[in-house]
Amino acid sequence: MGMGSKIALGCGGLLVLVVLIFGMTVMGSYNTLNTLNQAVDAQWGQVENVYQRRTDLVPNLVETVKGAAAFEKDTFTAVTEARAKVGQVSLGAKPGNDAAAMEKFQKAQEGLGSALSRLMVVVEKYPDLKATQNFRDLQAQLEGTENRITVERMRFNEAARAFNTQRNSFPTVIIAAFFGDKFKDKVYFKAQAGAEVAPKVKF
Amino acid sequence: MRKILQVLLLLQLWWGAAFAEAPLPPAPQQWVTDGAGFLSPATRQRLDRRLATYQQATGHQVLVWIGDTTAEVPLEDWTVRTFAAWKVGRKGMDDGVVLFILAKDQKLRMEVGYGLEGQLPDALASRIIREAILPRLKGGDRDGAVTAGTDQLLRTLGGETGAARPGKGTGGLASLGFGSWLLIGLLAVGFVALFITHPDMAIFILFSLLSGGRGGGGGGGGGGFSGGGGRSGGGGASGSW
Repeated sequence: MGMGSKIALGCGGLLVLVVLIFGMTVMGSYNTLNTLNQAVDAQWGQVENVYQRRTDLVPNLVETVKGAAAFEKDTFTAVTEARAKVGQVSLGAKPGNDAAAMEKFQKAQEGLGSALSRLMVVVEKYPDLKATQNFRDLQAQLEGTENRITVERMRFNEAARAFNTQRNSFPTVIIAAFFGDKFKDKVYFKAQAGAEVAPKVKF
Repeated sequence: MRKILQVLLLLQLWWGAAFAEAPLPPAPQQWVTDGAGFLSPATRQRLDRRLATYQQATGHQVLVWIGDTTAEVPLEDWTVRTFAAWKVGRKGMDDGVVLFILAKDQKLRMEVGYGLEGQLPDALASRIIREAILPRLKGGDRDGAVTAGTDQLLRTLGGETGAARPGKGTGGLASLGFGSWLLIGLLAVGFVALFITHPDMAIFILFSLLSGGRGGGGGGGGGGFSGGGGRSGGGGASGSW
């Protein structure tokens, strides 16, 4: 074997090695991103679940309050309208990937949240209603649901942060760019203006 | 990009602040932990044994934890993070429940793992607090309140076997069943084997067991509590007195 072919063999070997290492880096980065991406999606599912839970609670709550406080028509209308808006927004969209959709989603949910807290304030005027088992159960459910929303939103932000940190670190950031929209930065839930929107009505 | 960084920074500050305010309590070694002198020792011990047996029978990890205060951190936020840190309930099944009582804050919360939200929905958790616990606490009967709350909680979850009832309260070795003896035997055999092959490690384990010991005799069936990897998502109910 001549000197030339030895060098060629060496270069060839080096090339194979470089390609291999490069390939493995890409694969590793892709897989990590994919895992984190799935985690964000799964967590988004949880977020939708808990918001859906609240939406499902509304008719029952309105019915119960209506029975005892028939005069508060405006409040009921506000709640029902806010609920309808939430229904329009959350269909199909995956706001975790899209800032505008996220904004819309959050706005609609906040609308329902504040309509519900106004409803709970109205209830203050009706001690008889507050004392019923049915209303107390509903209230516990609403409180539990609001609490779950806080928890799952927080966990969504954690998952999104884990994804974004990985996505924007080197060399993953280059590899993520290859895949375009598949690995876009995730959008966070923002703390709400007046974070106490959740009805924290204590009896 | 700048916006993202800002948000990240904000989040971090927020988290940093949240964590700096309240170091979470370490995971309990027992099923019933009373850091506030809330219960009489006899009641604490009886409930502890009962919950230990309950876990043996059903696999559900049910804890009572009594402390003083969450130090201004909102109770619900504090309990969900504590629950996550302790990993109460089995991994994948998330079947843990913790009854947190903050004596100085005069607040309590039942934090329910994901897997038990069906058996113990918020409304039922709230009823247990409202009907079994709070009236007794307001009347000053702390032992009665926690006992009644545990009673109703276990009845709601189901699966407590008759034999697990406290009843005689003989305590100590006499109350250990066949399964526990078998377990202890196996552990002893394993330990002897370890002692022969790796004496230094065996001595180390012995030392760490003794230094973390719970003062002999009192504890329930075999070993202390340790979290199984369960999670909660903010289910449950709160109350105050």
